[in-house]
Amino acid sequence: MINVLKPGLQTTVQDDGRVGYYETGMPPSGAVDQYSYAVANMLAGNKKGAAVLEITYMGPALEFQEDAVIAITGGVIPPQINEAPVPMWETLEVKKGDVLTFDFVKQGARAYLAAAGGIDVPVIMDSRSTYTLCGIGGFDGRALQEGDVLSIGNMQEKEVKPGTRVTGEYIPEFSANHEIRVIIGLCSYRLTEESKQRFLDIEWTVTPEANRVGYRLKGERLDFVPREQPFGAGSNPSNVVDLGYPIGSIQVPDGIEPIALLNDAVTGGGYAPVATIISTDLNRIGQAKTNEKIKFISVTLEEALEARQQNNRKLAEVKQMMQSS
Amino acid sequence: MTDFTTRYSYGGDEFIFVELSEEMTLEVNFQAMAITKKLREQQMPGILDICPSNASYMVRYNPDVLPAAELIDELKRLESSAQNLDDIVINSRLVDVPVLFEDPWTHDAVMQFRDRHQDPESTDLEYAARINGYESKEAFIEAVTGSPFLVSMIGFVPGLPFCFQIVPREKQIEVPKYVRPRTFTPERCFGFGGGFSVVYPVQGAGGYQMFGISASPVFDKEQKLPDFQDSIVFPRQGDIFRYRGITREEYDDVRADVEAGTFAYHKKDFTFRPDDVLKDPAGFSEMVLGRLYHD
Amino acid sequence: MKEIVSSLPGVFYRRPEPDKPVFVEEGDEVKAGDTIGLIEVMKSFQEVKAEADGVIKSIKVEDKAVVDAGQVVAELE
Repeated sequence: MINVLKPGLQTTVQDDGRVGYYETGMPPSGAVDQYSYAVANMLAGNKKGAAVLEITYMGPALEFQEDAVIAITGGVIPPQINEAPVPMWETLEVKKGDVLTFDFVKQGARAYLAAAGGIDVPVIMDSRSTYTLCGIGGFDGRALQEGDVLSIGNMQEKEVKPGTRVTGEYIPEFSANHEIRVIIGLCSYRLTEESKQRFLDIEWTVTPEANRVGYRLKGERLDFVPREQPFGAGSNPSNVVDLGYPIGSIQVPDGIEPIALLNDAVTGGGYAPVATIISTDLNRIGQAKTNEKIKFISVTLEEALEARQQNNRKLAEVKQMMQSS
Repeated sequence: MTDFTTRYSYGGDEFIFVELSEEMTLEVNFQAMAITKKLREQQMPGILDICPSNASYMVRYNPDVLPAAELIDELKRLESSAQNLDDIVINSRLVDVPVLFEDPWTHDAVMQFRDRHQDPESTDLEYAARINGYESKEAFIEAVTGSPFLVSMIGFVPGLPFCFQIVPREKQIEVPKYVRPRTFTPERCFGFGGGFSVVYPVQGAGGYQMFGISASPVFDKEQKLPDFQDSIVFPRQGDIFRYRGITREEYDDVRADVEAGTFAYHKKDFTFRPDDVLKDPAGFSEMVLGRLYHD
Repeated sequence: MKEIVSSLPGVFYRRPEPDKPVFVEEGDEVKAGDTIGLIEVMKSFQEVKAEADGVIKSIKVEDKAVVDAGQVVAELE
């Protein structure tokens, strides 16, 4: 058992997502940074898909009621056990009675805490992920609160030796300037050619309205191609007949303040989406903080797939390192 | 739709987005339904989600298993085979949805956000009636409740039905969305935006005009009610909803039944072909209402 | 001198509500645990608290200004 002494800003139980319900309006949820999530589980010796804690901006204080093996990855929110700093990206041993706390966030926005065996909450629609907007999954459908008690499950597949760590190229670095790769498309035909180019040229700023549903960005106004609005779309030039929004898609309501949708996305609506963040870089945008800068880089599908293969290869290599440790 | 070429587009490396038309029609919605139904039946490996929407659809796939080019080829093949809607049968339900128009809770929300509206001097209902050429809001409500709606898409949040009225094009209602979205919409609010009516499943942000409140839920995460045994969301694409205006007294009765866990929608299973609708929307609507309330 | 830092990135508010007085002024005496401002991020508000007793020497951030995690918002004496 793990006692929640302090919950942190928004600490939720997440896994690899609730896939297959999008057509009912149910987004996948799941860890925003799936790379860091997967590595945390590997370091804890967990099976794929085990649930972890996603820690946002400000870490919780957790008291372990049993001996446990844990690992913390993701954005740099420096962990401490009994007030002594401990490394991230490393298999750690904790003893019954130990208290895990976190220092101020230094880099990135979200850290992942895996415990060997996984966080045990009921599986709802094939997933343990929390979807807070509708109160589904995770711990009572919500972020952790003071006084909650978490159980550790039995999804460990391998004992990883404490001190095992990943290094170098396997640890992503997050700066305050994020280059996020997108594929331009969907309803990008609605933007003027000039605005399509400006979308890529502008250095966007992450606003305080940046959460698991989406990131609202500030920059300059973008312009839409004038047209007589088609029937059913609504009168604003940024309106389209309501359609499905891909995870990672970027819409520009009224031409101001683009919104990039993340794992708790609204699944559809009537604002023209103009580009989609590639899956590999969804891991990275979730590590961008309020006030940080984002530049969108246009790539082809082939380039996106290459990035995806590279990401898959890295994860396979980490897995391999764990096997031989 | 002869002048429009379907757009196939990559939504990142995991989604294919297919826009069948820029404008909403019953016909294009049936096409999206037909293509996605066929795709679902094929059970292609690598497909994660199939999401039909109003005039478009979207597929989420795993590119490690299924290459995009292969998927798009298949979608194009399905599109041409769905040109002819004759062989499509839609398994639908006719559903009576009780709505209290101009209820106190929606009215409070309407008044709270007048500064975000096109016409701060009118209510949403008065404004929508006027711009659609109705002499009174009563006449407008009669038009909304007089003909049923096709559930043309589910989304935004779990269980929200986008509904397109089954009437000839010249009778279709269209309203703009709020100038700036609201931060609050009551749970079960009956709204209208663009060419679509909706019921908001949960309280939250929203931009549609607000006309009333549905007494019955479209979302029940506890799955207490009999209509929610299989799913936490009630509406399915292809359902036919009739929004029926009710009194405050009936509203309170329905709410009591919902609270007691005994409420069940008045509904009938029903199959139809797109052509039945497209040939004569008004006649189809009339037939459907007869089936729902009299047969 | 002690620094009071924001643990979060977000918008700093010196007042609990727009029409209420500020939490603290420069020169005010505060006790450990007293709220000196709010940070708004992801639609939630977190209190910024003094970690020790003392007198507010200076407030380094203006009302409604954007702050970063770890940024000094006030100094205590």
